[in-house]
Amino acid sequence: MWDRHDPERLEQRIRVEPDGSITALSGKIEFGQGIRTAFAQIVADELDIPIERVNVVLGDTDQVPFDFGTFGSHSIVQETPLLRKAAAFARHLLLDRASAKLGLPAEKLDTEAGAIVGGGKRVPYAELLDSEPLAGTIPDRVALMPADRRKYAGRPMPRLEARDIVTGRATFVADVRLPGMARGAMVRPPTRGAKLRSLDDSAARTMPGVIAVVRQGDVVGVVAERDEQARAAAGAVVAEWHVVPVEGPTAEVPMRSDADVDEKFRAASVRLAQTYVLPPIASAPIGPSAAVADIRAAGATMYVGTQRPFGVREQVAKTVGLPEKKVRVLPQITSGTYGRNSAADAAVEAAILSKGSGRPVLLQWTREEEFAWSPSRPEAVLEISAGLDAAGRIVAWRYDEHTNVHTAAGLDPQVLTVTSGRNAVPPYTGFPARVTLHIEPTRLRTANFRSLAAAENVFAIESFMDELASLSEQDPLAFRLRHIDDDRFRRVVERVAERSRWRERPGGRRGRGIACTVYHDTYVAQVAEVEVSLSGAVRLVNVWCVVDPGQTLNPEGVRNQIEGGIQQSASWTLREELLHRDGRVINTGWDTYPIATFRDAPESIDVLVAGDESAPPTGVGEPGAVPTAAAIANAVYAASGARLRSVPLTRERVRKAMAG
Amino acid sequence: MKLALTVNGERHDVDVPPNTTLLSVLRDDLGLTGTRYGCGRGQCGACYVIADSRAVASCLLTADQAARMEVTTIEGLAEGNRLHPVQQAFVDEDAMQCGYCTSGMVISAAALLGRDPRPDEISIRDALAGNLCRCGVYGRAIRAVQRAAGTRELGGRGAEPPERS
Repeated sequence: MWDRHDPERLEQRIRVEPDGSITALSGKIEFGQGIRTAFAQIVADELDIPIERVNVVLGDTDQVPFDFGTFGSHSIVQETPLLRKAAAFARHLLLDRASAKLGLPAEKLDTEAGAIVGGGKRVPYAELLDSEPLAGTIPDRVALMPADRRKYAGRPMPRLEARDIVTGRATFVADVRLPGMARGAMVRPPTRGAKLRSLDDSAARTMPGVIAVVRQGDVVGVVAERDEQARAAAGAVVAEWHVVPVEGPTAEVPMRSDADVDEKFRAASVRLAQTYVLPPIASAPIGPSAAVADIRAAGATMYVGTQRPFGVREQVAKTVGLPEKKVRVLPQITSGTYGRNSAADAAVEAAILSKGSGRPVLLQWTREEEFAWSPSRPEAVLEISAGLDAAGRIVAWRYDEHTNVHTAAGLDPQVLTVTSGRNAVPPYTGFPARVTLHIEPTRLRTANFRSLAAAENVFAIESFMDELASLSEQDPLAFRLRHIDDDRFRRVVERVAERSRWRERPGGRRGRGIACTVYHDTYVAQVAEVEVSLSGAVRLVNVWCVVDPGQTLNPEGVRNQIEGGIQQSASWTLREELLHRDGRVINTGWDTYPIATFRDAPESIDVLVAGDESAPPTGVGEPGAVPTAAAIANAVYAASGARLRSVPLTRERVRKAMAG
Repeated sequence: MKLALTVNGERHDVDVPPNTTLLSVLRDDLGLTGTRYGCGRGQCGACYVIADSRAVASCLLTADQAARMEVTTIEGLAEGNRLHPVQQAFVDEDAMQCGYCTSGMVISAAALLGRDPRPDEISIRDALAGNLCRCGVYGRAIRAVQRAAGTRELGGRGAEPPERS
């Protein structure tokens, strides 16, 4: 689904500007995962130019090649080879042009800091354009810059946007200011899917600053000169709604079905069955959704935060009745949203308001709207049973994942397997397994969230591995290693044990737990150390993590992503649960949906980036968050004897489990 | 209503509806969009500014109240091209991901160092406890504040070369 087959055109990838700087183009989006910097590193290396002279344009639908979207930590994997090849091809074309211009064979020429050098001459790239931009089909094979001449890739680099961010100059979506721009506010129905029965906007229309009350189908909103005026007027619109229950779909997908699972299970010397439960959680970005729409008869410009600029273009074009090529989507820096930005809610609403009012409109959702109306991570109930032989080896594994649908990508079993069923198949080997995914209906709006179902499945699998080890009196580390035959996987597990001094168990009320996984070919192992008070309060003290994401472009960027994944996942695990009734979210503020704060941050998160440099680069935005819940739950067990099979690990739950 | 505000050492005259928040005036009237909207209830810290030496939520102050204070926003911390030590330390420690909460964190840290130039770690955690970050850069932000205070010698970046296997 993410493959691109058409050959790529250089002019859609690399541009040499008249001032000699380089513009690199990609349909991928930056959310703080550092891809802008990583892309600049590659392009600077291949074109032999200082990185300050590389400008990376992401997601501008008028400029970049079509892209399906920024998902699943694929950006580095997909885009790195393409951009590298494009930049290398551009360098070859520049060498050819210089060769013709100087009358020297290309082999006698070289590049240096943005210029061609050779035969005692130096020609800056800009002088080779002659108003003829570089163009052409990028060939399959291009000679790349030798590794020893790369100056940036593989080195720690500060983020290119860092200075703009710390000075407040970075322009997030809601910071876009256009001449004549008005502000929008939506009138919300009681539940999603409700149909508008009647509308009385007579009071709202006369309020200060109001420009228009706009209705399109069941979407209603107010446009006013100021934000607070739009909100006040939206509150004065009287709408009657017909509530129509909306429910997610159902499906059942066999993901793995080996022969003899039940026979082997029955013949096992020891059998264990457990059920693990995770509640729905909110993506809860610090910046609520926002969009700026400027819809005119001749064409539209959208300033948005999105993972799918081309998807937004399609949706907006349909909504406002313009052909797609008349809609330009300009993705802006956006608050991290961890998956939620694949839904173009605010963009579509802003487009409706702009079209209806004839003004450019900034729509900024409130905090309450963000909690109430954005999609959430589905809940999950994971049932596992397994049998061990007399030697303590797994001989059969049965796994049933019950969850709700994670994406709007549909109910194709192949899609479900990699979305809602992600990481349901254990990474361990040597036994037959049956794994079944059950998609169950929900009234809650659910969607993509960092790592999709992997965080839920790995919580269950890695907690259960600990329980099996404990049942058969084996060390959790040694038990896992007995069932791993992939060298890279084994290596990260062994190294996290060394790094955390696994064998030296902390005393007192502290305990350590281990968990590991393979997520889209990124290998990750973690050890968590917690302290459990007599009242059941869990304090996360330290986390050690070893990650192997293959060839590593920016080790510091990798560390930052992994640390963040661990910190966010610790918050999910220890604190978070979204409450809902009849599809309505009940906790819609930070007071009722608390997340981890500075006071909760562990004393240290030690991340070792140990990439196998012979393997292709893999993503790191998501994998760090995946094993953390189980590492913490396993540590709580080691510290207190309390086995928690439901998250969040609240004080009440832990205290109850300790009491046995 | 007509008001005169002192922001980043400059006087600004504005005419806004009564009860307009300081946040709204900064972002919509003065064009100082580095102060971010996060919750409108003083619960997330994204909109913090320094008002009379203290970090406060600009979404909870009315412009009228702020007119009696000296307000410093994220845009007012650097001196020309020279970043405030806290800003520089956040860059050096790579203490940000999406960056949405960064303005508020930097403001809280700058206000802290203004009253306590060498805070211990607990004081840093307490001073920044009102600043929520969803990307999870708390550890790095603590190190950045320590670096700015001169209580941490080693930088995060490059301090530990990546191990190759």
